[in-house]
Amino acid sequence: MSDLAALVVQQSLNGVYLGCLYVMVALGLTLIYGVLNQINFAHADFVTVGAFTAFFTVTRLATKLLGLPDTAAYLLSIVAAFGMGALLGLAINAAVFAPLRERGDELRPLIATIGVSVLLENAQLALFGPIPYQFDSPFARETLRFGRIFFSAQSALVVCVSAAAIAALYAFLRFTFLGKALRAVAQDRETAGLMGINPGLLIGLTIVIASALAGMAGALLGPVLVLSPFAGASVIVKAFAIVIIGGFGNLQGTIIAGILVGIIEAFTVQYLGSGLIDLVVFILLLAMLVARPTGLIAERKEENV
Amino acid sequence: MKLASRLALAAAIVLASAAAAAQERVVRIGVAMPISGPGSYFGVMDKEGIELALEQLKGTVNGYKLQVQYEDSACSPLQATNVVKRLLDQFKPHIVIGEECSDASLAIAPILNEAKVVQLNVGSVTMKLTESGYKYTFRIFPNAEQQSAPLVKVAHDVLKARTAVILHEKTNAGNDNAEGFKKPFEASGGKVLATIDFGRDVNDFTAIATRIASLGKVDVLPTFALEGQQVRLSQALAQAKVVKGGGGSGVQMGSIWLPYGYDQKAGEASVGYVRIVQFDPTERRKMVQDFVSAFKAKYGQDKVPTHINAHAYDAILLIAEAVRRGAHDSESIRDAFSKFKDVEVTTGRITFDPKGQNADLSVVHFVETQKDLSWKALSWQ
Repeated sequence: MSDLAALVVQQSLNGVYLGCLYVMVALGLTLIYGVLNQINFAHADFVTVGAFTAFFTVTRLATKLLGLPDTAAYLLSIVAAFGMGALLGLAINAAVFAPLRERGDELRPLIATIGVSVLLENAQLALFGPIPYQFDSPFARETLRFGRIFFSAQSALVVCVSAAAIAALYAFLRFTFLGKALRAVAQDRETAGLMGINPGLLIGLTIVIASALAGMAGALLGPVLVLSPFAGASVIVKAFAIVIIGGFGNLQGTIIAGILVGIIEAFTVQYLGSGLIDLVVFILLLAMLVARPTGLIAERKEENV
Repeated sequence: MKLASRLALAAAIVLASAAAAAQERVVRIGVAMPISGPGSYFGVMDKEGIELALEQLKGTVNGYKLQVQYEDSACSPLQATNVVKRLLDQFKPHIVIGEECSDASLAIAPILNEAKVVQLNVGSVTMKLTESGYKYTFRIFPNAEQQSAPLVKVAHDVLKARTAVILHEKTNAGNDNAEGFKKPFEASGGKVLATIDFGRDVNDFTAIATRIASLGKVDVLPTFALEGQQVRLSQALAQAKVVKGGGGSGVQMGSIWLPYGYDQKAGEASVGYVRIVQFDPTERRKMVQDFVSAFKAKYGQDKVPTHINAHAYDAILLIAEAVRRGAHDSESIRDAFSKFKDVEVTTGRITFDPKGQNADLSVVHFVETQKDLSWKALSWQ
């Protein structure tokens, strides 16, 4: 393989890995928007909660209490973060979002997401302090090499878990009764209600799934991020951009946009400089808003989610 | 009767004045540090150092109480500006310690100088802070030039480096350090293959490491970033086999920015990392060992103080020394600081040059990370 070909393959792999991380964060955002037509400003904090849950599962529960080996401990932490995200989503929906929705107000739930964000951020600051934690994944220590191409086992794990999460979400939405009901609510909440579907329950389920995905994203991002109560904020802006580029509320668009942004970032670093990453990504975002406001996948409400 | 009343009133006034004067025997120290946001670990460590120093001094020097007010300036120029204005309006400090981040330090410098209140900086590197003609600004932290020049010398003379890739965060501090390395390195015949900057929100450095690996043989990689990013960067460079920690030949070089403990966090990737340090908890100087012991006694035996703890601790020692020499307000503190010569603190000896920059770098030295992740002190400075 020539130098150039090896470089292109390597940066493409780097981009796919990075893109998968972005997709994991963006999936929950787009799911909530697709069903509720609402932006969740607290999403970054659910990611951070997931990262901390994974960290403490690895460092306290799995290795010290259960005596698991490092790799099993980290895999367990991904499940724990998924579960914690789901529980937190359930609790916050029941305590904050559902009562506000019942009042029929659209603006208050949106503002409430900002409130929840501030609350979670400060609660984590009080609990964990501001000094960054060092969260190491045992998979990050293993480097896989194929000739001149290399990637860490953590990268491979991120790609595999992301692919599995996307496939599971797709299967859930397409082939299960609850998934079909959820899509019905996304298409037309009132009509779905007339068909015997409980929209409130399905919206709650959407928030739980989105929060669980955010938690899982946190577990995958934990060993990459500088883990502090503000960790999620560093990726959320990019995730919002990906949701917009992909087409608000469109899952396929979000996945394609996430991978695309990851690859563009990797090649921007290679040929233009890492300092220009945000410039390039947000020029793409603006170009997309101007030229194709519906995003990569044109918005057809019935096909979203 | 009338006379007695007048005498009583006069006595009361004298007593009240005396009491007021006694109450006024206070040196007010404002502390503008990041307590929230990504740089908040600075504020936490700064507070630990300050609290320890105050405890040891029992809060009083030469009959003057050292009164401290902490404010969260968040490493942000805007918030730092607001915080300092509030401090000036309400607390009326004689001196302000802060900020850690260069951008925020630069933002508050003109305000404090306009108000003729001393600014004591303990953690910013940007050259502009002490090169802008401020009369009330003093800095004990080595500036960018003081940190970069020894790195160039060691890279060129000791490591025989002829090629370099400079990595730095996109801030005043990072830019100044990078420039401080680039110019003299090129002047000495070295070639800078690339200067790679990145925002503080960058988390994944795999693409950057891949790019560096594609540039050919790199002898040294001077790196100027906060600890969290440095750890990830080192690991990515090791994975790409660029640096010694990953089996490559490049030597990653770091500045005083990195707190003690980086090596343990980066793990094997940090092996062979050469860095310049000012505060070294293993230094045998009595003052350093007393500080380390006291710090551990207060905060836990497993907690080793970092340079951030030490610099904040030193800031209080310096103010105390100024008060011991008769200073009690902004003007007299400024005068006392200007006359400091070889005042011993944990991070060396302080002698401020006419621009307010500490000129003494006698304890600055190099260390190299060993396979067991310990430091080996090198006598290259």
